Amino acid sequence: MEQQVFRLRALYAKQGRLVMLSHLEVAESLRRAVRRAGLPFAVSQGFSPHMKMTFSAALPVGVGSTCEIFDLYLTEYVPAERAFAALAAASVPDLMVSACAYVEPKAKAAGVAFPVGVYAAEFSGAAEGLVFPQVVTVQRAKKKPKTHVVADYLRGEAVAQGRTLTFALEALPTGSLRPDYLLAEALRAHNETADSPLALLSCTRIDQRDESGISLVASLSPLSGEI
Amino acid sequence: MTDLWPCIEPLLAQTERPARYVNHEFGCTYKPHADFNYVLVYPDTYELGQANQALRILTNCVNAVEGMWAQRGFLPAVDMIALMREAGVPLFSVEGCAPLKEFDIVGITLPHELAATNVLEVLDLAGIPLRAADRGEDDPLVFGGGPCAFNPEPYSAFFDAISIGEGEESTVETCQLVRSMKRAGATRAEILHALAQVPGTYVPLLYGWYSCEEAQQRGTWIYPLQEGLPTHIDKRVFEGFAESPAWEPAVVPFTEVVQDRLNVEVLRGCARGCRFCQAGMMYRPVRERSAKNIVDSVCAGLACTGYDEVSLTSLSTTDHSQIESILTQLNQRFDGKGIRLSVPSQRLDSFGVSMAHLVAGQKKGGLTFAPEAGTQRLRNVINKNVTEEDLFAAVDAAVEAGWRRCKLYFMIGLPTETDDDVKGIARLSQQVYERMRKAVPPEQRGFLQVSVSCALFVPKAQTPFQWDGQIPPEEAMRRVNLLRNSVKAKAVRITWHDPSTSFVEALMSRGGRELCDLVELAWRKGARFDAWTELFCEEAWRYAAEELGIDPAALAQATYETSYVLPWSHISTGTSARWLARERRCAQREQTTPDCTYDICSGCGACQRLGVNNQLAGPRIPAGSNAVGEVR
Repeated sequence: MEQQVFRLRALYAKQGRLVMLSHLEVAESLRRAVRRAGLPFAVSQGFSPHMKMTFSAALPVGVGSTCEIFDLYLTEYVPAERAFAALAAASVPDLMVSACAYVEPKAKAAGVAFPVGVYAAEFSGAAEGLVFPQVVTVQRAKKKPKTHVVADYLRGEAVAQGRTLTFALEALPTGSLRPDYLLAEALRAHNETADSPLALLSCTRIDQRDESGISLVASLSPLSGEI
Repeated sequence: MTDLWPCIEPLLAQTERPARYVNHEFGCTYKPHADFNYVLVYPDTYELGQANQALRILTNCVNAVEGMWAQRGFLPAVDMIALMREAGVPLFSVEGCAPLKEFDIVGITLPHELAATNVLEVLDLAGIPLRAADRGEDDPLVFGGGPCAFNPEPYSAFFDAISIGEGEESTVETCQLVRSMKRAGATRAEILHALAQVPGTYVPLLYGWYSCEEAQQRGTWIYPLQEGLPTHIDKRVFEGFAESPAWEPAVVPFTEVVQDRLNVEVLRGCARGCRFCQAGMMYRPVRERSAKNIVDSVCAGLACTGYDEVSLTSLSTTDHSQIESILTQLNQRFDGKGIRLSVPSQRLDSFGVSMAHLVAGQKKGGLTFAPEAGTQRLRNVINKNVTEEDLFAAVDAAVEAGWRRCKLYFMIGLPTETDDDVKGIARLSQQVYERMRKAVPPEQRGFLQVSVSCALFVPKAQTPFQWDGQIPPEEAMRRVNLLRNSVKAKAVRITWHDPSTSFVEALMSRGGRELCDLVELAWRKGARFDAWTELFCEEAWRYAAEELGIDPAALAQATYETSYVLPWSHISTGTSARWLARERRCAQREQTTPDCTYDICSGCGACQRLGVNNQLAGPRIPAGSNAVGEVR
């Protein structure tokens, strides 16, 4: 008989110096926080048993977030408030949980539930003159270069306000366009002609949306109800 | 202290794995208001050094003292070093991102012989004068310690003081001494003189160095340059080890590092008496922590750190008198929790069926055994005290418990080794493979693998083989090829260490003070990260030696009589020179010596000299061939 599991969703931030962590480093750090929190996590069966836990879409190294989620499968029901308190006590400040709630066991996986990421990029000067390129070509080590058509990924208009540029990118089943690559390409083109070159100070995922446009952050009622 | 983070942060986007430099890990200690600052540096990258036990133990000891802050330091990777040099950013500590130059004491651990040039890279990147003689009143005191301190001379010019032996107590003592003297306005020279009086502390600058001829006449290479200095430095032993809790706070890294798990030291010391093994000589006597201490510590450590793997570390964990009880209790507690338990350094004679099941767990990677030599004759020479039957019994038990891969460690170039001994490695490995083949169903035979890893014998200071030379690199390669050609089965894979790095190890292991110039010149010619195969620069060492008129081959390969006074004769692990010489004679006669934790005292002299006896948690019961006395 299949063991009953409870699916706890936690919202957390990746900020400060820890924006430099890779997705795998974040995942391992969170698994360790769960163990430190003493929560009754479920363990997978098989050759290499491991904690049952899933994460939202990977963030690149250098990109922070105020709204990441992970789903943790528990073998016992622990009130969300208690799970939150235990997790918060076991977390480092720059990888801190901010809310916990249970979700339906059949709900979409954390990694695909919110395919649209909204990003805020901070620059050293006014962001207004910055224009996104039409294509971004990514050259990765030992692989063929891949060209992304920006319009395929960009959702809505990029909005510049002062030194901040806000934009949304959708992760497609065929692949994703990394916000840091898009910004680097835009900056390169801008700095070639601009009188005063711009530098990127930070890039942060500030919201995630599902396919119908519902915001993860807006739908969240901290510590109670469902995410 | 200065916070260098604003200078470091802009560099991180251009580096590989920046998580190495961000700090803020879980478990870090912050004492920004401390009035005394100590940094302990591992002279290699974060991922290699973060799990180092000396770093954890000694920083914890110093941090326990009020007003003292001990931080960690590492050498950045090559790409980051280049960026830092270009931007003018000096080497920094992890916790406070503070320049090393601002610390009261910079400790550098010497984990292996290939770290010497990295010591200079650390000092240079920190902006600290390389040589102790060139440092001024405002420079930090640079302390060394660790395994390589047992022959401190090749490093002696770069350190103000070198700590010999276990540092739990002496590190705190020296920190307190330096703090109180600095407060009282003492000069650097006065502090150094006082440090030389602390037991287990060697201050090289205060000693002159005889020529070889004079040293042989006088029976020592050093002479004090001031009044009231010891002429012999005994190592320190942490007598309270057995009673001290096996769990102590640990930093949990964000990024993947080697040995990224909870490490619980279950015992210290090993008296098996393998004649090539420096660790076996330098950590005597043997001290075991109790089963209760270990089990409680493992549980507390896992809960506090969040690790899902624990390793019971020591030189010889399966020798612990209560190992079966410890493993049984831990297996019961971890059942179904996804915790992996690993036991390094399995002794062949004590790895039976019950042990195989106790360490089996659910995930079976490879299992490692170290027969070290291919024939019984040579195993007797090195005093390994295990037989072929022990190896076969261990392999049978492992296969029965579900393992399909096994790794065997051997050494090439041991004293008295002949071609027959080399072929013996091939013979033994093939026999192991054949036994595994017969023991598994035909459909699983394709999964079987025997890896044979060969290290080149490096004569280590303070061992019975310290007088024996290393074989030339060409001869080492001939023997490796003889071994490769003698192995027929494809499933037996042979790997070997590069002989060109082994000659540097031999130099650093048995050289004298004259090697300081060699290390510095090799570093100036580009040698650093010598332990990294892809970064090792043999030419730098060769050209430096040539320029200085040093014949590295002669130094590495020379074999001496036991009457020859070696450059580390003023440093003592506790074992007597007479006993080491006797052990070497026994080796030449192929006679073995028993382990005093199972049998009678072998007379090494460590207990008497150091005033500490073996401390076992229970009686040790010999197993395998040692139980029936086949070897002795």
